[in-house]
Amino acid sequence: MVEKEDAIISEEEAAQYDRQIRLWGLDAQKRLRGSRVLLVGLGGLGAEVAKNLILAGVKGLTLLDHELVTEESCRAQFLIPVDALGQNRAQASLERAQFLNPMVEVEADTDKAEDKPDDFFLKFNAVCLTHCSRDFMVRVDQLCAPKNIKVFCGDVFGYHGYMFADLGQEHQYVEEKPKVVKQSEDANDGPEAKKPKVDPNETTMVKKTASFCSLKEALEVDWMGGKAKTNFKNIPVGYFLLQVLLKFRTDKGRDPQPDSYTEDSGLLLQMREDVLEAMGVSIDLLPPNFVSYCFSEMSPVCAVVGGVLGQEIVKLARACRMGTRRRRRPKQPGPS
Amino acid sequence: MVQLVGPLRKELADSVSSCRVLVVGAGGIGCELLKNLVLTGFRNIEVIDLDTIDVSNLNRQFLFQKKHVGKSKAQVAKESVVQFCPKANITAYHDSIMNPDYSVEFFRNFALVMNALDNRAARNHVNRMCLAADIPLIESGTAGYLGQVTIIKKGLTECYECQPKPTQKTFPGCTIRNTPSEPIHCIVWAKYLFNQLFGEEDADQEVSPDTADPEAAWDPSEAAARATASEQDGDIKRVSTKDWARSTGYDPVKLFNKLFKDDIMYLLTMDKLWRKRKAPLPLEWSELQKQGEHSHFSLVEEMLGGGLKDQHVLGVYGYSQLFSESVKTLSSQLAERGAGAELVWDKDDPPAMDFVTAAANLRMHVFSMNMKSRFDIKSMAGNIIPAIATTNAVIAGLIVLEALKVLSGDLDQCCTIFLNKQPNPKKKLLVPCALDPPNLNCYVCASKPEVTVRLNVSSTMIQTLQDKILKERFGMVAPDVQIEDGKGTILISSEEGETEGNNSKFLSDFGIRNGSRLQADDFLQDYTLLVNVLHSDELGKDMEFEVVGDAPDKAPTPSTQEEGKNITNGNKDSAQPSTSSTGNNMHCCRNNLCRLNSWRCSVCK
Repeated sequence: MVEKEDAIISEEEAAQYDRQIRLWGLDAQKRLRGSRVLLVGLGGLGAEVAKNLILAGVKGLTLLDHELVTEESCRAQFLIPVDALGQNRAQASLERAQFLNPMVEVEADTDKAEDKPDDFFLKFNAVCLTHCSRDFMVRVDQLCAPKNIKVFCGDVFGYHGYMFADLGQEHQYVEEKPKVVKQSEDANDGPEAKKPKVDPNETTMVKKTASFCSLKEALEVDWMGGKAKTNFKNIPVGYFLLQVLLKFRTDKGRDPQPDSYTEDSGLLLQMREDVLEAMGVSIDLLPPNFVSYCFSEMSPVCAVVGGVLGQEIVKLARACRMGTRRRRRPKQPGPS
Repeated sequence: MVQLVGPLRKELADSVSSCRVLVVGAGGIGCELLKNLVLTGFRNIEVIDLDTIDVSNLNRQFLFQKKHVGKSKAQVAKESVVQFCPKANITAYHDSIMNPDYSVEFFRNFALVMNALDNRAARNHVNRMCLAADIPLIESGTAGYLGQVTIIKKGLTECYECQPKPTQKTFPGCTIRNTPSEPIHCIVWAKYLFNQLFGEEDADQEVSPDTADPEAAWDPSEAAARATASEQDGDIKRVSTKDWARSTGYDPVKLFNKLFKDDIMYLLTMDKLWRKRKAPLPLEWSELQKQGEHSHFSLVEEMLGGGLKDQHVLGVYGYSQLFSESVKTLSSQLAERGAGAELVWDKDDPPAMDFVTAAANLRMHVFSMNMKSRFDIKSMAGNIIPAIATTNAVIAGLIVLEALKVLSGDLDQCCTIFLNKQPNPKKKLLVPCALDPPNLNCYVCASKPEVTVRLNVSSTMIQTLQDKILKERFGMVAPDVQIEDGKGTILISSEEGETEGNNSKFLSDFGIRNGSRLQADDFLQDYTLLVNVLHSDELGKDMEFEVVGDAPDKAPTPSTQEEGKNITNGNKDSAQPSTSSTGNNMHCCRNNLCRLNSWRCSVCK
C-alpha cells in the first residue's frame, strides 16, 4: 500500500533529522516518513530493530508479540521496565519505544503472529520477523514478497546471529556511479579566464534490477547436488547452525534456555546430527562446541545484527523504487 | 560442566559484573555502548563527557529526549540507563577527560577503557594515559555508514599515535585573502572575518588583501611605495579590523562596501594575480539594493517545492540583506557584553551561521563561484559529519565483543574491525584485520621517544613551540620544557605564570641553535619527548615548522574515508579551519621584515 507522502518537512523534523538528512538526503527521509513497518518479536534483537527504525523516522511501526515478559526478557532488552513481569512484551515495550521519537506512530499488538490473517501483513511496506518459526517465516515471505512488500528475518542465538532479506523477484534499484567527464583539448588555450571549479563529486545514477531468492529456497538448498558442493568453503557455519536452531524452535516451541542447559544442549547435539545428515553434509561443518555459544541473546550481537538489519529496512522500506543492491547474507559475529 | 549466566559462561559473567570500566564520551557511540555494557552484565561503569545535549543529537543518541536538550550528556545518559538497569552502578562526570584530575592513578582503577570520542586531541591524550597506566584501550570511530574498532595495549599493539595521521588541511593565506577558487576558501574567509569583527582576533586569520602575496610580485620601487602607503592607510594593516569596524559603529553598509568593493578593487590593482585567473567583480551596496527591489524572489514560493528552508540558495541581494541583519544582531550582542567582549563562532548559533553564510556567498559571487545554500555552508563551516543510529549501534556492539575478549585474557583473538558501506568482494560487511605491533620509532610509545623538528630558531617564538608544536602537533596538554644544555635551563613551565615572560622571545634568544636538544615533558600524561632542533632559514611556503619524517599534508575529507587505516577522527579537529602545524605565511614577510626594509627575502622574491 502506498501512502501519499507529505511534501513539506517540518522545522522540528529538519532539526532532529539533520545529521541523517546530510547522509541520505531529503528525498530518502521523506520516503522513510511515508513507510509503515511491522516488527514481530520484541526480544533483544526486536528491541534493537525497533529503536533503529523509530530513530530513523518511519511513519509507523507496529510491535507484534504475544509473549509475556519474563526475567530473561527484562535482562536482555532495554525497552521493558523492570517491573513489567507478566505483561505482554509488545505492550511493555511501547512507552519507551514511543519516547524514542514522538513523531513516529508506534503501536503494540498482543496477538499471536501465526493467527493473523493474510491481509494483516499486506498493510505494511516492510515486515521484519524475529523469534518466528521456520514455517511462519516462509509463509509470510511467500505472501508478501510478490506484492512488493519487503520481507526481513533475523534472530540472535547467543553469540550467533543472522539476517535475511527478500526484496522480490524484480527489485529495482539505483546505483551511483562516478560521472565520466570528457576532457576536451583546446588548442587555443591562451590566457583564458579560469572557469569556476566543477563539483568533483559528480555522479550519475544507473537503474538496475535484481532478483532475490525466497526464504524457502534459501533454507532448502540441495547440498548434495553438484553445483552446491563447490561453494562449501564460502558458506558460514552460521547457516547450518541456523538450520539446527530453527528445528529446535519448531520442535520445542521455544529457543534453548540457560535454565535447562543440560537438557537443551543434549537435544541440540542430537539435532545437529539429524539435521546435517538429512542435508547430506558432513557433521564437521558444525563443530559441537556451538552448544555453549548459542543460548539466550547476547546484547552486543543483537546490536550488530539489529544495526545491519535496521539499516537495510531503513534503506528499503519505501513504497517504491530506490535502494542499494543487497543480498541475503547470513551473519555470524562471534568467536571465530 | 559449563555453567551459563544468560549467554555467558559463568567465569566470564563474574568478571564482567565485578570489573570497573571507563567510557570516554556519551554521544553517538557512547549511548549505544552504555546500553550494551549494562545488558551484557557490566555493573561498574564510569562515563565522562564535557558536552550538553543538542536537538541534532536526537536522531541517534537514544538515551536523550527532547526535554533533555541543554543538559549534561553524561548525567542524562546515566539516568536513562539506570532506568532499565537499576542494578548498574554508574558514575557520570560532566567534565573534560583532559582535566588533570583524571591522572594516571585514576586510569589505573579500570580493567578497561573504551573511547567514544569525536576528536583527535582527546584520543591522543587518552592513548597516553592508558599507555602510562598500562590499561587496555578500545578505540573506535564512525562517520556516516563507516566505522572502525581497534585495541590498543602497551607493548603488544600499535598505540593510537604509532602511525602518523593526516593533519587537518589548511589553505595558504594568499588563497584565503587574495585568490579563492573554491567555496571552502570563501567559507574559511568568512569565519576569519567573524573572528576579526566579533571574536578573538588572530594574526593567522587575516581577511584583508595580502600585499605580500608572492604571486603579486611588484618591482621593488612599487613595493616600497605600497609599503609606506599601507602603513599610513588605516584600512589595510595597522588598525585592527575590529577597531575599524567599531569606529564605524559596525555599520553594515560601510562594512559591505569595504569588504566587497574597496578590498576587491585593491585586489584588482594586483594585476599579475588576474593574468590567468578570472578577476573578481566588486559589489556596491546601493547598486545592489536598487537591483534587489526589482527582482522578485519569494521564499514562500520556493518552499512550496517541499525542500528544507535552509537548502535554498538566495540571490546576491538576499545575501546582502542577510549580511546586514546578522551584522546588526552580532554587533548588538557584542555591545551587550561590554568592553573587551568576544563572541565565539558556533554553527548552531543562528546569527553567527547567518553571517558566515552571507559573507561567504557574497565573496563567492564576487569571485564568480556558484553560491551555496545555508545547509551546505553549515556542513563545511561546521565540519559536520553526517551520522546515523545504526552505524553507531554496530560499532558499539563490536566494542563490547572485543571487550569480552580482553577480559577473558584472549588478547590474541582481538583485531581491528572495519565496517563498510557495502559488502566487499568476499561478501563481508565487517572486515577484521590483524593488530599491528608497536612502531619502535613511535614518538609516543617508544621507550625513549625522540623527534626532529625543522624550524627557524631566530623567528620561532617560545609561544609557538608550546602551542603549535608541543600542544597541537604533539598532543601535550601541559608541557614542561628544558634545554639539554647541561644546566637544564627551563624554557616553559606548565605552572601558570612562571614562564610567561619567555613567550614572545625567540628560541635563539636562549642559545638554541641547530642541533640543540629540548626535553619536553607532560607530567599528567607521564610522557617525555626529546626534540632535536634542526635550524633552517628556508622552510616551505606558509610553514612555521616541519617534523622531519612526516609525509606532506593530505586533506582527510571524512566523507571519502574508505577502508583506510584511519579511525574517523570526528569533526572537532577542525572546529576552526585551523592554521595548525604548517602555519600560515610564516616566511619573513609575515613579520614585515621585508616590507620595513624594502627588500624581498628569497622566498618572496
